[in-house]
Amino acid sequence: MRRVITFRLLVLAAVFLTSCASGPKFSELQPDMAAHSPELGRIFFYRTSTLGAMLRPDVLLNGEKVGEAVAQGFFYVDRPAGEYTAVTSTEVTRKVSFTLEKGQTRFIRFKVSMGFFAGHVYGELVDEADAKEEIKDCKYIGDKYKKE
Amino acid sequence: MRTRNALALLLVLLAAAGCAFDVYHLSSKPTQFTQQIEAPRSFIIKDDVLIKQAPCGYKRTLREGTRWDLCGTIPEGEVYKSRDQALTVECSNVHEAYLVVSNGFLTGFYLPVEKAFVSIAEKMELPVK
Repeated sequence: MRRVITFRLLVLAAVFLTSCASGPKFSELQPDMAAHSPELGRIFFYRTSTLGAMLRPDVLLNGEKVGEAVAQGFFYVDRPAGEYTAVTSTEVTRKVSFTLEKGQTRFIRFKVSMGFFAGHVYGELVDEADAKEEIKDCKYIGDKYKKE
Repeated sequence: MRTRNALALLLVLLAAAGCAFDVYHLSSKPTQFTQQIEAPRSFIIKDDVLIKQAPCGYKRTLREGTRWDLCGTIPEGEVYKSRDQALTVECSNVHEAYLVVSNGFLTGFYLPVEKAFVSIAEKMELPVK
């Protein structure tokens, strides 16, 4: 009986660990905060908490998949100035809408709230100073969707 | 007996699953925004301002020292935005928001993406410098 319980705990731990982000930390990678073109702005997406780590919904930016909201992960995209909506869906769909100007950097933090069958992952617009502090230990997960 | 309990539980789960989670809709009305290009004006918040009447019970604080620049007007007042503070209003979803000020009083929020106005129940005087 004890063996079975230990085995199940190990499986759970393995699932939990593989659900979190792996990659270089923000503080190690030190990505540029601004987009490389003056015509563009940069949007960082990050999720600090491990709560609901097994939930890693797609992130749709104006309908285009740009990444996943992975626990302790971050990624960024460069986009032209304009109006944007970032959408995440679990058992419900959550949106955060914001504007982006040329040369501006915006930060979207994903949080998890309680749901009925599964947690709800939702984005929040965060001030740069707060975001820079929170994102330091997040790991880069952006390569998969990066367009060169 | 067990079967009956299981069926009852299943019915409750189905009913709950059928309920919409997205029930907290932001009450806003479409408005006409006119961009301000000339005569730049701004103000700086002198002390922290706690907005208790933000939509859906979420409180918001305008931080001391943040600068708010006039970016346009809507029929409900002048619209100010800040580079010092990311302001949002939220219900089930989160929306970037600018301040709407009329005769020195905060009267609500302008949502630049939705192009809509969200009023607050009671206008508030802003401590500015």
